[in-house]
Amino acid sequence: MFNFNELFENENTGDRVMSLYAPREGYTRGNLFPELYDAYKNYKPAMLKANDEKSKMLLELGEISFASHELNLYLDVHPNDKSMIALFNDYRRKSNQIMNEYERKFGPISIDSEALNVTPFAWEEEKWPFEGGNN
Amino acid sequence: MWAYEKRLQYPVNIKKKDLRMAKLLTTQYGGSNGELAAALRYLNQRYTMPDNRGKALLTDIGTEELAHVEMISTMVYQLMKGATIEEIKAAGLDPHYAEHGKGLYPTNADGVPFTVSYFATTGDALADLSEDMAAEQKARAVYENLIDLTDDSDVIGPLLWLRQREIVHFARFKELYEIYKNEYKNIEGNIK
Repeated sequence: MFNFNELFENENTGDRVMSLYAPREGYTRGNLFPELYDAYKNYKPAMLKANDEKSKMLLELGEISFASHELNLYLDVHPNDKSMIALFNDYRRKSNQIMNEYERKFGPISIDSEALNVTPFAWEEEKWPFEGGNN
Repeated sequence: MWAYEKRLQYPVNIKKKDLRMAKLLTTQYGGSNGELAAALRYLNQRYTMPDNRGKALLTDIGTEELAHVEMISTMVYQLMKGATIEEIKAAGLDPHYAEHGKGLYPTNADGVPFTVSYFATTGDALADLSEDMAAEQKARAVYENLIDLTDDSDVIGPLLWLRQREIVHFARFKELYEIYKNEYKNIEGNIK
């Protein structure tokens, strides 16, 4: 967990003090906001493991795009939080970067991907997520 | 419009067949507090939110709920994979098999098909957001009940994660509810 206000203290706009989990910690928990996190009984969040480069990159994509999505929902309700917008854009860029790199190496996630410029049609080449592909 | 990403929002890799748990988990697909009801509720209510904060939040949470429909469906599918007729009968899924074979179908745990009467729309932002807050709390409670009913860590992991999403969504709806309540308090008719 890092302190959000330390990172953005020069841009302090008077928004309320809020710390965030780092993307990996937030993704593991399903919650980027320590003040909202509420464990069930004594259960600990599952530790996600990645055994090869493909699953490692996919996990990283899951983490960063989740962080970006969490800030998206926050900003929907608080559209003038300048420092959160900066962080959202940081995660959004990283997420796009990782996704492009993943698609180049392992095939398309989005139908907009450059990785689709091959024969046979790459969209149906990889396993579907519910079959254990991209998962 | 919408675009699909060929990945799950959070990984699901269930290795152990468990038809009893598949039957129970189906309720978060097609039951009254399930993910399909959540997605349709928010995506349907968004049009009459009084400003763009509500329209954005309901669009984005409604979209995330579609990703949760995919996660729950994946869990049900993987829990049922390779089931024999005898196992299907033993789990009480033979009525499902008669109608749907090994296909998925949105029902609750008792096999009652999904219906849109599981959610409401009043066109009143405060009433609709109150329903949305309640829906998130009910879904959280159902996830806890489901976690209590299994000891498979491959199932518990995604359920804990989905439960936490209900908590975050509840908090966002509540924030918006409070904002609307204060801002529109004295402007008659404006909240609709």
